Amino acid sequence: MGNKKILIVDDDPDVRHGMHIRLKANHYDTFFAADAVSSVTEARKQEPDLIILDLGLPAGDGFVVMERLKKVPSLALIPIIVVSARDARANRARAIKAGAMAFLQKPVDNAELLAVIRRALGEPAQPTEPVVHDLGPI
Amino acid sequence: MSEKALQVLLVEDNAGDARLVREMFRSEKPGSVKLTHLSLMSEAVTHLEQGGVDIVLLDMGLPDGHGLDTVRRAHAAAPTVPVIVLTGLDDEALAASAMKEGAQDYLIKGQIENRALPRALRHAIERMRMQTETDAIRTDQIQFKDEFLSHVSHELRSPLTAIYQFATILQDRLAGELNPEQLKYLEIVLRNVKQLQSMINDLLEVTRVQAGKLVIDLQCTSASDAIDYTVNTLQGAAEAKGITLVSDIQNRLPQVCADPIRIRQILIILVDNAIKFTPASGSVKVHARISSEDPHFVVLETSDTGRGISPDMTERIFERLFRVSDSDLAGRQGLGLGLYICKELVERQGGKIWAKSFPGQGAVFCVTLPIFSLAKLIAPALRNEGSGEVPITLVIIEIGSRTGWLSNELRAEQCHGVRDLLQRCLHSNLDVLLPKMAFAGSAELFFIVAATDEIGGKAMTQRILEQLGGCEHIQQRDVIISTSYRSLEKVERGESESIEDYLRKAANRVQGLVDDEISSRMVEHGQ
Repeated sequence: MGNKKILIVDDDPDVRHGMHIRLKANHYDTFFAADAVSSVTEARKQEPDLIILDLGLPAGDGFVVMERLKKVPSLALIPIIVVSARDARANRARAIKAGAMAFLQKPVDNAELLAVIRRALGEPAQPTEPVVHDLGPI
Repeated sequence: MSEKALQVLLVEDNAGDARLVREMFRSEKPGSVKLTHLSLMSEAVTHLEQGGVDIVLLDMGLPDGHGLDTVRRAHAAAPTVPVIVLTGLDDEALAASAMKEGAQDYLIKGQIENRALPRALRHAIERMRMQTETDAIRTDQIQFKDEFLSHVSHELRSPLTAIYQFATILQDRLAGELNPEQLKYLEIVLRNVKQLQSMINDLLEVTRVQAGKLVIDLQCTSASDAIDYTVNTLQGAAEAKGITLVSDIQNRLPQVCADPIRIRQILIILVDNAIKFTPASGSVKVHARISSEDPHFVVLETSDTGRGISPDMTERIFERLFRVSDSDLAGRQGLGLGLYICKELVERQGGKIWAKSFPGQGAVFCVTLPIFSLAKLIAPALRNEGSGEVPITLVIIEIGSRTGWLSNELRAEQCHGVRDLLQRCLHSNLDVLLPKMAFAGSAELFFIVAATDEIGGKAMTQRILEQLGGCEHIQQRDVIISTSYRSLEKVERGESESIEDYLRKAANRVQGLVDDEISSRMVEHGQ
């Protein structure tokens, strides 16, 4: 079985790059989009197993992206993890309601990000992985 | 320059005094002043509410209003219109207090010079205008500052993310091997990333405190778990400085009624501070016990062997932006927001925080939190029944998931919605929705204590199920909601039994049922 495909949507090229290295090291294939429009195009083209989505994007925001993805039958069920610099308290509930599986606050701890990705993909947790205690924003 | 006529409202019930005032405007340019004379406070209020008045000359002894009350009413009717009170010679003290209530000035009847009155009016109007303007600017500035802080905090997180990502990429050797020195420097980078991250969070938290948006989720929770969490989290930082960090928790410390995330936040701030201000080979201790002063509270105490705080500073340290001024304290101390946030968090949970210290002997910070009391919570349900002998029914609402796993986010979101909805289903005085009682494995449990029998309990579960079923927002995806109920025989109150003893007895029975439900779920889910 080939590697799982993850689409990284973030307007910051450094963050995309860093995320790519981290995910590649964990045997995921990565694809990228930097704005709301191309993220939907890229999702159609690659049909990824998971989308990591920033909220602040050019040409619409993460919420717009989620709304558009939900309208495409082949993309509607792809799990989405929102990773954003925006305030968790104000955006977590909204993101979950819009269909995201999780909201993670930037900067995200690597172990936490990987644990949430594995859960979203239905993969078994790693033995060394910390239990994510996060019950909400601090 | 032609000026608009000055609209003066004179509120005066004494015709002679009113005429005197009118006389004083006679020498003014015709059309420059328009004087409206009313003799009742109620008329004045109506007139002010209609707008258009530039200034009020107010007698403080009217048939339907007296003293400072007249000033308050005028001010309430037209907050931006300046008021000058007219007073007798013997009432100067009263006039002075009128100024505290918002009057711009006072004039003593019989001592007003003809030419002085119009000038006093114009000055009062000008002062009022400037004051209103300053207030508006201040409000704008506060709002701007909040928005700015919030914006800056978010903007800072993105570059911080990239720094964290690449530092950890190097640290994890994803870009090749590193020598020990390079690794040591990376640790320094990451330590500073963490510090910056917590400063950003503090900034946002303070904006929330000031905007009154701090969310606190009170529940039955363990303070000792929060202490263990804190000690584990900060053990590394303490060791790195050669400081021993230990906890000493009283045996069978009762649960508290607080927000577990907030207790951790408070302890992290206090212990982190203690480590920061304690020199190498010192020690930091977290101590928890029932308060000896008030047995309804638990006291959490952090003590260190640092330099201490001078006694006159023990209150000031909780002020916003307070920072120790000693220059010999090594390096950076942070933003001076931690203790301020702590104080807000503790007080919002019904507790108190204070510091004790003697210079050179370390500092002690004490936090009190209310002990969770089921008896106190269910009292409203039981007290309403005159006889004191009531059947009690526990209604249990369980939220689970078809997939067996409810994500933390989904769980938090669902719980919030369910709690709101349940609260609306209750008879406000007869039923009590308990706060979260414990983690029950993968399910989430809600308990309602109702002073009703089995039939009432059945009706209630039915009602709740219908409400929940009709709520689209809650019934989504994999979520399953089920309700059940369990009734207790009447909890009888003995003849000589005090209400406290009776409530305690009832609470014990309810707690028994709750524990039962929780443990049966734990077995079911294999935990």
